[in-house]
Amino acid sequence: MKIKILLVDDEKEFIKTLAQRLKIRNFAVTTVYSGQDAIDIAKENDFDVIILDVFMPEITGIDALKQINKIKPLTQIILLTGAATVENAIQGMKLGAFDFLMKPANTELLVEKITQAHALKHEHEERIRQAEIENILKTRGW
Amino acid sequence: MDNLNNKAKFFGKVTASLSHELQNVLAIIKETSGLMEDMLNFSEDFAKLEDNKLGECIKTIKNQAYRGVDLTSGLNSFAHTTDSIQASINVYETIKKMIFITKRLFQQKGVNVSITKCHKSYSIITDTVFFQMLIFSCIKSLIENFDNTTTITLDINSSDKITTIKFTNNDDTLKFDDYKQMLTKSMLWAEICKFCEQLNFKSEITADTPGILITLK
Repeated sequence: MKIKILLVDDEKEFIKTLAQRLKIRNFAVTTVYSGQDAIDIAKENDFDVIILDVFMPEITGIDALKQINKIKPLTQIILLTGAATVENAIQGMKLGAFDFLMKPANTELLVEKITQAHALKHEHEERIRQAEIENILKTRGW
Repeated sequence: MDNLNNKAKFFGKVTASLSHELQNVLAIIKETSGLMEDMLNFSEDFAKLEDNKLGECIKTIKNQAYRGVDLTSGLNSFAHTTDSIQASINVYETIKKMIFITKRLFQQKGVNVSITKCHKSYSIITDTVFFQMLIFSCIKSLIENFDNTTTITLDINSSDKITTIKFTNNDDTLKFDDYKQMLTKSMLWAEICKFCEQLNFKSEITADTPGILITLK
């Protein structure tokens, strides 16, 4: 099963190229160009990892992060930031982002972070599943 | 001293915005060349890609390189405006460059700023940094005082005696009196008046099409 990624950045050429590079590396990639589109598509889909640019017009990466965390708390978010917005990225970490990377990011490092983020999501899902099973067993007195 | 601080702050803000854009340009160049590498390294995947993909990549690199040149030259000429206190400037060209380099700051607020082409070449001797700060403050005041602003248009009119710059935000939902009241009570309007005083310009709010009119004496 391919890891499902959502790439979000208003720089279309950047996101299109990065998407191709990740597809070559066997990830299932979807791209959108605004924070609002990211929130909308996240509601309808179950992405494993969302890669979010911090500095976007109108809805910033941080605002989108807050919204997506409410809708899909298990989806892991990696922030992409320029030097000027590192403080925002740190704020994003406090708000629950998995990690942040400086732009332009090293692709192999990004792939490593995606894999780690996916593993964490999988771990959370397993724990929830386990807790649900234990709860069912408990209620039935097994 | 206060003026010097404002100048430095303004300079820093614009430079930071431009360098952010430059970073995006570099990111695209980097990813595109990386993709070309990938295509060669993952030969199986390369076979699956559409025809002429390599040609498209090269085109992207070329386009982004041009974009990088435009931005860096904008940054360069902006930085040079601090070279001397007074300089002779072409009003239209200076404002056009100013809009180009600050575009992203306004787009962040969802506003597009444009200048109507002015065929008449009009030059003045002025403090270029203060002049640009005045233009910036006028645009900013229309954005910050009127939430519905999505476009701002600048028009330069030049007669034999005077040259004017008019800023309109194409928001016809407000009546002139409300428009004037909102603008004049803001801190930015006080800043605009202060700049005009220093540059020996005149600032007023127009009634025909609500907007800010700056008269260069």
